[in-house]
Amino acid sequence: MLVLLIVIPFLGALAVWLPVRVMFRVWFLCAVSFIHATIVASFWWQRPVPELQGYLALDPLGLILLSVISLLFLSVSVFMIGYFQHEHRGNRILTACILALLSMMTLVSVSYHMGLLWVAIETTTLFSAPLISFHRNWRSLEATWKYLLVCSVGIALALMGTFFLAIAAHDVHTLLLPAILSGASSLSVNWLKLSVIFLFVGYGCKMGLAPMHSWKPEAYGQATGMVGVLMAGGLTQCAFLALIRVSQICYKTGLSGFYASILIITGILSLVVPAVFLLSEKSIKRSFAFSSVEHMGLLVLGLGLGGVGIFGALFHMINNALAKVVMFLTAGSVAQKYGSSRAMEVRGVIHIYPVTGIFLLVALLAGTGMFPFATFHSELLIINAAILSKHYALAGITILCLAVIFIGIARLVLEFVYGKPTEPVLAKKENFFMNITIAAAAVALMGLGLWMPAPLSQVLHEAVALIGA
Amino acid sequence: MTSWIDVSCILAVFLALTILATNRIVGMIKIFALQSFLLSLVPLFLHADAISGRDILLSGGTMVLKAVLVPTILFWAIRHISMRSEIKPIIGLGTSILCGAALIAVAFWVSLSLRLPGKLLSSLVLPCSLATMLLGFMTMVTRTRAITQVLGYLVIENGIFLFAISLYDAMPVLIEMGILLDIFVAVFIMAIVLNHINEEFERTRGSASRAKWGESS
Repeated sequence: MLVLLIVIPFLGALAVWLPVRVMFRVWFLCAVSFIHATIVASFWWQRPVPELQGYLALDPLGLILLSVISLLFLSVSVFMIGYFQHEHRGNRILTACILALLSMMTLVSVSYHMGLLWVAIETTTLFSAPLISFHRNWRSLEATWKYLLVCSVGIALALMGTFFLAIAAHDVHTLLLPAILSGASSLSVNWLKLSVIFLFVGYGCKMGLAPMHSWKPEAYGQATGMVGVLMAGGLTQCAFLALIRVSQICYKTGLSGFYASILIITGILSLVVPAVFLLSEKSIKRSFAFSSVEHMGLLVLGLGLGGVGIFGALFHMINNALAKVVMFLTAGSVAQKYGSSRAMEVRGVIHIYPVTGIFLLVALLAGTGMFPFATFHSELLIINAAILSKHYALAGITILCLAVIFIGIARLVLEFVYGKPTEPVLAKKENFFMNITIAAAAVALMGLGLWMPAPLSQVLHEAVALIGA
Repeated sequence: MTSWIDVSCILAVFLALTILATNRIVGMIKIFALQSFLLSLVPLFLHADAISGRDILLSGGTMVLKAVLVPTILFWAIRHISMRSEIKPIIGLGTSILCGAALIAVAFWVSLSLRLPGKLLSSLVLPCSLATMLLGFMTMVTRTRAITQVLGYLVIENGIFLFAISLYDAMPVLIEMGILLDIFVAVFIMAIVLNHINEEFERTRGSASRAKWGESS
């Protein structure tokens, strides 16, 4: 079943190279995402057995990520139905890369071998690069180049870290996760420490943690909204799964304290940096990119603090993905209507497009973690973990940064929504498919904020137990 | 065959230093191809008494991908981009070599304090692989052209590769091939992006609307 889940989208990626109509490709993408989502949904009832000699296995951590990814691709493909009714650009490379990306992200969430995990994450980098330069102009090419180079070098460091891990696990003779975890006592601690540092820097680069975040504002600023969703909600969280795997190994070998200090320092830095830069940002996509740096910071902070923080971080993975759907799809919808996402050209959206204007406000609240959206709860859990572990200063800095970030994004979004109206360059009507996707994600996020379903809570608790808090 | 591995390790570092000290792009690519060819032989030296199918596969795969296809793609890229001209590094070539020598010393010094578990065929593998990586980083940060940054990245990968093939057998061959293939595809995509950048550059040449490289909006 797991192999099938990886192979279907990959074959789909090959199929869209055939010369067919633009809309046909979009509907095809929708169908593949729907099949993928159906299979993933069935895993919530019946967990699949490990396949390929244990290289592929789905544990609760993988299940959370896999469900998030499946939801993201489904929402993006429905959004694309609306988007390509107004877009006259070909979409062969776009749909092919999105399908290949779906296949590789699935591989990330089910791979149980540290080497295979590296291969899958590197491949996601390669397939996402052509997506950034969809609007092929000077700036998007520059962003693509920066993304490719920074992430490739970062991922190369993670490869080195994987080899160091193999040296540390010399007596285990394999990099399969269960074998490493059960033979944890025989690991060589010095090599493991070196390996942890390299893996953290490498995958942290891919995740866009400060100070390795330099590619993020450029890449998200230039990519279309759909691609922004897949990167901010999917790719970065795939890298976070790799960091969680490292955390599992550290817990078993008694290196939790060492790893936690790295996570906490980087997490705080990833909150401070966006707070500083957001106050003077002019483009909405770039400011959402900084917001993504912030959310990644919250994730690693929660993982580092342990206890209830881990639960918060895992819950935040789901919420962050939904919030990113609302934020980037709204930004994409605005950018398509105005041909820009900068405050100079876009103002007074609510007077011309009332629905999109409201979505912008919803995106502001969801993205900055306001009640009743579920991001509020997960952020509260992470701050709670800081207070419970007596890191009072840490909790203070986190709250301060979140407040500054709220001001930074609110300033820009309110100008977008209520400013003196500018004429849209490419006057277009609201689109049903685009709006229904954003509304569904917002409603789901609000629903999670008010009520957590029992199966979800159970899987989250199982996942926390795996990390070993 | 330990002596052959030693020779390969030292030559790999030497060639990385030569890339750092070369200022013609064609020359750099040729030296890189030579370095990759050399490294692709290491799996054969490693088990010289009993060469297995796995060693031949790994060696052949590396040779075809890294020593033939990657340089071919890079040559294709510079032919399209017409960037054969001399390049001016941020710091002079003499200074680069001095810094490179210092980096090699650092690599050897660091590896003194790292003790490898298990038996090791050659004590030069670890320091040489670290030195190659550091020299690759140096090439990346001191050169301004996009294609030389790709070459720096490839030198880093060669350093990692040297480390990987010489040390242990925990990685199944399929995953090693996956890693190789990933690097190859990475270079392929980089070459395509370079080509697009060049087209865009030609198209917007002389127009005031184009932002300068590195100037974000």
